[in-house]
Amino acid sequence: MDKATLKLGGLLLAATMMTAPATAQTIVKVWSIDGTNQPGVSDTLSKEFNERGGDIQIEYRSIPFDELVNEALRAFATGNAPDIISVDNPDFALFSSRGAFLDITDRVANSDVIDPANYFQGPLNSVTWDGKLFGVPKYTDTIALFYNKDLFEAAGIAEPPKTWDELLETARALNDPANNVYGITFSARAGEEGTFQFLPWIQMSGGSYGEVNGPGAVRALEIWKTMVDERLASQDVLSLGQWDSTGTFNTGNAAMAISGPWELNRMVEDAQFDWAVALLPTDTDGGERSSALGGFNYGIFATTQNPDAAFEVLEFFVSQDERMFPEFSSLPARNDIVLPETGVPLKDAALQVFQEQLQYAQPRGPHPEWQKISKAIYDAMQAALTGQQTPQQALDQAQQTIAGILG
Amino acid sequence: MDISEAPAVNSRRRGNPVSRILSSIRDGNGFDILLVAAPLVFLVLLAGLPLIYNVLMSFQQVDMFTLGAWIRPFAGFDNYISVISQPEFPLVVRNTIIFVVGSMAGQFVLGFALALFFAQNFPGAATIRGLFLVSWVMPGLVVGAIWSWILAGDFGVLNAILRSLGLIEAAIFWKSDPNFSIWAVTIANIWLGLAFNMLLLSVGLAAIPKELYEAAALDGANAWKRFLTITLPMMRPTIGAVLSLGLIGTLQQFDLFPAITEGGPANSSTVAQYWAWQMSFTLYDFARGATISVMMFVLVLFASILYVRSTRSEVRG
Amino acid sequence: MTRPWTQWVLLAVALAMAAVYLFPLYWMYVTSLKTNSEIFANPPSFWPADPQFAIYPGVWARRSMSTFLWNSTIIAAGVTAVTVILGTGCAYVLARYRNAWVDVGLFCILMLQVLPASVMITPLFVGFNQVGLLGSPRLAVILASAAKAMPFFVVLVRATFMSVPRELEEAALVDGNSRVGAFFTIVLPLARNGILVCAILTFMSAFGEYIYSKSIIQDPRFQPASVGLSGFLGPNSSDWNAIMAYSAIYVTPILAVFVLLQRRIVSGLTSGALK
Repeated sequence: MDKATLKLGGLLLAATMMTAPATAQTIVKVWSIDGTNQPGVSDTLSKEFNERGGDIQIEYRSIPFDELVNEALRAFATGNAPDIISVDNPDFALFSSRGAFLDITDRVANSDVIDPANYFQGPLNSVTWDGKLFGVPKYTDTIALFYNKDLFEAAGIAEPPKTWDELLETARALNDPANNVYGITFSARAGEEGTFQFLPWIQMSGGSYGEVNGPGAVRALEIWKTMVDERLASQDVLSLGQWDSTGTFNTGNAAMAISGPWELNRMVEDAQFDWAVALLPTDTDGGERSSALGGFNYGIFATTQNPDAAFEVLEFFVSQDERMFPEFSSLPARNDIVLPETGVPLKDAALQVFQEQLQYAQPRGPHPEWQKISKAIYDAMQAALTGQQTPQQALDQAQQTIAGILG
Repeated sequence: MDISEAPAVNSRRRGNPVSRILSSIRDGNGFDILLVAAPLVFLVLLAGLPLIYNVLMSFQQVDMFTLGAWIRPFAGFDNYISVISQPEFPLVVRNTIIFVVGSMAGQFVLGFALALFFAQNFPGAATIRGLFLVSWVMPGLVVGAIWSWILAGDFGVLNAILRSLGLIEAAIFWKSDPNFSIWAVTIANIWLGLAFNMLLLSVGLAAIPKELYEAAALDGANAWKRFLTITLPMMRPTIGAVLSLGLIGTLQQFDLFPAITEGGPANSSTVAQYWAWQMSFTLYDFARGATISVMMFVLVLFASILYVRSTRSEVRG
Repeated sequence: MTRPWTQWVLLAVALAMAAVYLFPLYWMYVTSLKTNSEIFANPPSFWPADPQFAIYPGVWARRSMSTFLWNSTIIAAGVTAVTVILGTGCAYVLARYRNAWVDVGLFCILMLQVLPASVMITPLFVGFNQVGLLGSPRLAVILASAAKAMPFFVVLVRATFMSVPRELEEAALVDGNSRVGAFFTIVLPLARNGILVCAILTFMSAFGEYIYSKSIIQDPRFQPASVGLSGFLGPNSSDWNAIMAYSAIYVTPILAVFVLLQRRIVSGLTSGALK
C-alpha cells in the first residue's frame, strides 16, 4: 500500500514536473542559530542540500540565539514565517501548543527516514503536544560535573563528589583564594541558563518545575547559597553564562565546573591540566539522579506554502544525523546512533559520562508559558543567592507564581 | 486629460488656491509650514503610529496570532494592574530612579566640570577636549561589551586597579552584587553620556559674552560668585536642553543592560525600559511590555513639559 | 598677568583625566591582543604577554566585516541625508519664531521619539510589512533611525540658527529676496558649520545603530556591523579577544575620523553659538 502511494506520488510529481516550467523551484526557508560563529549543522546541511541541485532549494538564515524566538514570533504574526525553524527545546511548546507548528504525526508515520522509536524519550516529549508530533529533535545535550584532576590530586582527594554534601566539602577543600582558585563554578545567571543549571537539583530532590519549594529543593538552594556566601564560587556566577563560567575552570581558576558537552572542544585545547567529567552529585548517596535536557528541535510552521517540500528537507536533515557528532560535536537525540571514538582520550571518556547523564535528563516543560515558569525559578534562585530572601521564602514565592501559571 | 488642462486653468484664474499656496511657500508662512510639516508627518508616521499602537496594546489582550492586528480583545486596565502587582515592580521603580538620577547627575556634573575646565586657556585645551568626545561616537553595544569586561568581578581590571591602589581589599562584584549592579550600569552610562553633556555645555559657555565676566571681575566678584551670578543664569536654557535630552537619552539607554548585567542579580538592576523589553521579548508578554512603555511615556511627557518651559527664557541674537 | 605654571598644571590635569576617560578604549585594544587564557588571568595583565595580531585579519575575514562595515556606512549615510533634509528646515522655523506654536512643535518632536527603540520595533516591523518596505530592509532601517535621530538634530541645529542674526535675513528680504531665496542664500550659509557638525555627529551615531537593523534586516548581506557584533554576544559564545578585535575594527575608523575632525566639530558647534 505504501509502495502504491509512493508510486502514485511519483507519477503525480512527474506530471507536475512536465507541466511546470523547467526553472520552477520550490524555496524552503530555514532559520536556526547555526552558522553565526562557526559552520554549524543547519547551515552546512542546507548548503549541501542545495548543491544536490533538486527542485527544492533552501534559503537559510542564521539568527543569534537571543533573537531567534522573537524574530520567529514577529515573522509569524506578519505572515513572514520561514518554513522550518530550529528552536531551543523549552521554547518549542510556545509554538506547538498554539498550532503555529504543523502537526506532522501522519507524515512521520509514513516516513522511511524518521522513526519516533529511535529518539530518547525526553527530547521526544519536548516536540510532542497533546499526543501529537509537531517536530523532530535535532540534537541534545545535558550538564555534568567537570573536575580538575591535578588539583584533586594535590588536595589528596581521590574521587569526584557523589552527594551534595560531598560536593560542598570538596569545594571547601579545593578553594584556594591565595592562588585565585575557586572551589567550583557554575552559572546562576538570571536567564534560561540559570534555570537549566538549577532545575536538575530540584528534580534530584524529588521536585519538578511544578513543585519547586519542597524541603529538598530548599536544601539545594541553601547549598548553592553556602557556596556563594563562603566564596567557594565566585559571586560572578550570578551573571556569568555557562561558557564564561567554564572559561574560568579552563584557566585553572576554578577546581570544578558544572556545564555541558559543548565545552569539550575548547577544554581539550585550553585546559593545561588533567581533567574528567562525573555525573552530577545527588541529594543522598545513591539518590535519584537527574539532569537538564538541552538541545534544539526542528519544527515546520503551519503557515508553510509547501509542507511537502518542507518535510522533504526535514527528512534530509534527519538522514544526516550520524554526522552530528563527528562533524559538529553535538549529540544526536537518538538511541540508534553509536558515537564513534574521537581519538582524544579525555574527550571520549567525557562523552561516555555525558551519555550516561543524558539518560536522566528531563525536558523543561513542555509548557507554552515556559519562559514565565523559568523566570520564577531563576528569580527565586537569584533572590536567595543575593540574600534578599531566604531560600524558603524565595522558593515559596516562585511556587506561588508557578501555580498561578499552571492554573 | 486633466493634466493638460490644468496649467491653462491656472493662468486664467489668478489667485486660485494652488498658486496662492505656491506663492505662500515661496514667500510667506507657507514656507515655514512646509518646513515644519514635512518632518512632522514623517515623525507621525514613524514614531506616532508605533506610539499609538503601544498605547492600544496596553489595553488589549495580545498573543502571537494578533501581534500584527490593531483590533484585539479589550482588557481594560488589567495589564496595568498586573504590571503594578508584579513582585519586582517596586524594585524596578527604585532602580529606574537611581539609574536616571544617577546617570543624569553624573553626566551633568562631570560634563559641566569638564566644560568649565576646558574653557580655561591652556595649551592643548581644545585638542584634549576633543578626545573627551569619543564616547559619543561609540556604539552602545561596543561600550556595553567593554564595560562588562572592565567591571567583571574576578578578571575585571577595575577591581585590580582599585586593589593595587589600596582602595578595596576584596573584589567588588559590580555585576553580581545587588548593592552595586545598578551602579555598574550607571557608571558605564555616565561614561557614555559624558561627551554629549560636556559638548552642549561647552557650547553654552562659549555663548556667554566675555564682557560680562570682565565687568563682574572689575566689581570685585570672585570666581564662585561669577559662576553663580553670570554663568548659571546665562546657561539656563542650555541646562534645560541638556537635562531634558539627557533624560530622554537615559530612558532610551538599552544596549548597556543586556551587555553588562541583564537586569540581574535578582532584578536589582532592571530598569523600566529593560523590563519592558524583557516582558515583550523574553517572556513574550507583549501587552505588559507595551504597558510599561506607556507608563514611561507619561513620565517623559512630564520631562518634556519642563524642557519646553525652559526654552521660554531663551534670548535670540 | 599670565602665570605659565598654572597652564602646565592644567595641561597635566587634563592629560590625567583624558587617560582615565580613554582607559576603556585602551582596554579594548589590549584585550583584543591577548590569548584566550590570558584574558581570564587574575590579576589581569595590562600589556599582552604575547600579542596576537593575527586576530585582526582573522576576525575581519571570518566575520565578513567588509560587507558589514559597508552596510553600516550606507545606513549611516542614508540616515544623515534624511535627517539633514527634513530636520534643517524644521530647526530653522522653530528658531525663527517665538510663540506657542513653536512650543507645540518642539514638544511634539521630542515626545514622538521618547519610547526606547526596543519597544518601537514591533509596531514598526508590522507597519513596514504592511507597506512592503521589508523588501528593501536597509531603506526601512534608514527611515526608522532617521526618525530616532531627528529630535536631537533639530534641537542642536535650532541652537545654531538662533545665533544667526535675524537682521541679516530681514535685510535680504528688504532687498527683494523671497523667503526661499533668503533661506538658501543668507541663513543656510551662515549656519552651515553647525549643520555640518550635527550631520557628522548624526552619521556617527547612526553608524552604531543596532536594534532596528537586527530586527528588520534579515539577510546577512545587508546587515550592519552592529548586528554582526551581536552575533558574538550570545550566551555561549564569548570569545572576548575576538569581540574586542571586532569592536576595535568597528570603531577605529570612526574614531580616527573623529580625532581628525574634532577641532572642527567643537569649533563648529561653539562658534555657531558665538554671536
